[in-house]
Amino acid sequence: MSSERTFLRLLVWAALADWLITRSLARMAIFMPKSPPVLAAYQVIVTAGQYASVLCALLGLIGVGWLAWRARQKSGAAPAVALAVLCILSLASLLASPDGWLVLITQILLLAITGWLGGIISRNVTGAVNKAALLLPVLAIGAGSLYHAYQALFNVMAWPGPSPLAPILFNFGELLAVLSPAGLWWVYGRQSAVTRPWHIYLLALLPAGLFLAARLASPSMAGILAIWSTGLTLYLPSIMYAASLILGTVTLLASHRQGKAAGWALVLLASAGYAPQLSSQMFLALLALSWLAGLWAGEQALPLHAQDGAGAGWIKASLHKIRTRTAL
Amino acid sequence: MRKRRWHFWILVALMAALMTLFKVPMASSQGTTLVAVQVAGDLPIEDLDSPAWQQATAVEVPLSAQTVTKPMNLETRVKSVTARALHDGSRLAVLIEWLDDTRNDQTIRVQDFRDSVALQFPLVDGQPFFCMGMQGGNVDIWHWKADWQADIAAWQDMETVYPDMDVDQYPFASGELPAPSDYQDVNYVPALASGNLFASPRLSPVEDIVAGGFGSLTAESVEGQSVQGYGEWADGKWRVIFSRDLTANDPDDASFTAGKVYSMAFAAWDGANGERNGEKSTSQWVSLQLQGSAGAPAASVQAERPAAPGFPVQTISYILYGAALLLIIIGAIIYFRLPE
Repeated sequence: MSSERTFLRLLVWAALADWLITRSLARMAIFMPKSPPVLAAYQVIVTAGQYASVLCALLGLIGVGWLAWRARQKSGAAPAVALAVLCILSLASLLASPDGWLVLITQILLLAITGWLGGIISRNVTGAVNKAALLLPVLAIGAGSLYHAYQALFNVMAWPGPSPLAPILFNFGELLAVLSPAGLWWVYGRQSAVTRPWHIYLLALLPAGLFLAARLASPSMAGILAIWSTGLTLYLPSIMYAASLILGTVTLLASHRQGKAAGWALVLLASAGYAPQLSSQMFLALLALSWLAGLWAGEQALPLHAQDGAGAGWIKASLHKIRTRTAL
Repeated sequence: MRKRRWHFWILVALMAALMTLFKVPMASSQGTTLVAVQVAGDLPIEDLDSPAWQQATAVEVPLSAQTVTKPMNLETRVKSVTARALHDGSRLAVLIEWLDDTRNDQTIRVQDFRDSVALQFPLVDGQPFFCMGMQGGNVDIWHWKADWQADIAAWQDMETVYPDMDVDQYPFASGELPAPSDYQDVNYVPALASGNLFASPRLSPVEDIVAGGFGSLTAESVEGQSVQGYGEWADGKWRVIFSRDLTANDPDDASFTAGKVYSMAFAAWDGANGERNGEKSTSQWVSLQLQGSAGAPAASVQAERPAAPGFPVQTISYILYGAALLLIIIGAIIYFRLPE
């Protein structure tokens, strides 16, 4: 196994542990009775979660440093410098609390790097539908970053605020984030060559069912956990989040069965959450996009060119069927 | 080469373990920061429409229902507050605004609950539990209450809601329906005589409280009440100003210095929804940054006190950890470049 592959596997597991333990399971404790055994169990869980968070942040930093190196080889100095500055700013923010300018510069860099990665992803696929589908997570990350940058701009410029477009931007970004698994499913999960795909769809109903049950049983509790765990506010109809969960799970399972990396990139995206505030989560989002962009040696999400125009082809085939039936 | 790669990853895992053990953060947060803008001249501590407030960038802070301890109400109504902050080098003022369809500023009848809002500041380094602190992590709470504000304008009592009520007599007091202050001998109002803040004449609509976890809420003494406040309700919106000296002599009061960053949290109650006590909307910790140069004397009170010789232990340890991290990375690069 190559160094990069080992690194990405480690990163995914650390990110998953950070997300599920620190930002989900540990926070569920507020809804549990505080008996001594529960408290003792949670102390262990929280310590494990803290370790996962630190490991994830450390790997994220190494990963972005590594990405800067690769960017220099593939795309020249500009993205490499942007990534290196992002790493330095992240480390500097550990020593001095990030003020308006630091936040603004960080978010502008993040936007620029997201745009650069979006460009690579877009160039890697052909077909308007495929391009649009794969750009959904790019745009969601961009919207989250723009939201933070917009608020930081108000602080830096000493404008009275609150920034009037911020809630609209945040909600639009959340819509893109919810649509992102559908986009990945369209490109990577829909026509996956797995045997008995209905098994996967059946399995994918589980998390969606759990989410819907929690949402129906206690809307507030589900809402609080969702925002703490993923950054999503659940302002859209619940069915959209459930559908997104189903398609995301299908993509993950189909990719896993085929040994492809798209599913793992999706895990990183989910671990990063929407409009993240922590530098480590921002790094996860960037690394997920770089994975989708095929910047890691031997870690193409899928042989994208082999799928060129798959979506468009499916639409053409459907239209042909309709025309044939109409003619008959 | 493969063996060396594994050495590197094991090294990374060990570093993470050490960092967890010594609580060295590896991720920085770029969350919500409320910047208290330094202004010249007097702070608008009772002027909600002062243009000075426009100098401060408003920050919208999302709130959610308190769900940690009973009593809880999962359907609280205040979803966010908008905050602005100013300081003049000696005093801090915070303006809070939030939407509320109804004005609830009476708690005389048992079925009535007040609208209110609170700010919370840690009294320890770091961030204790965001909901009223924790054992060993006290918090200073400034609780503005709509009924206390109304009491300042005109004292409210049973006759306010039941104007036709009648009583036989209140001995030892002047007036037919006397307020506590109408008693000639304070010993006939034991709560007032014992210094109970709730029976004392309202000097401020803000209660200055200290807490160290659930069930530990303690009002500071009448003399220790140092926070001023002013609030108005109009057109479905509350606007409330909190103000206090930047520095405090009481260890139960948070102190602030220009140029530094502090943590603060918000809570709000909608009385019309029956919200009181733990049934409230709360925020997570957000950052409060006081504009100005760090280390500059922020207030006259501070100037009177000798400055403690501060040893920047945390900064030095971060620099040491950073140097160690750099050495390890350089060592790893050299290690991988060596021949097998």
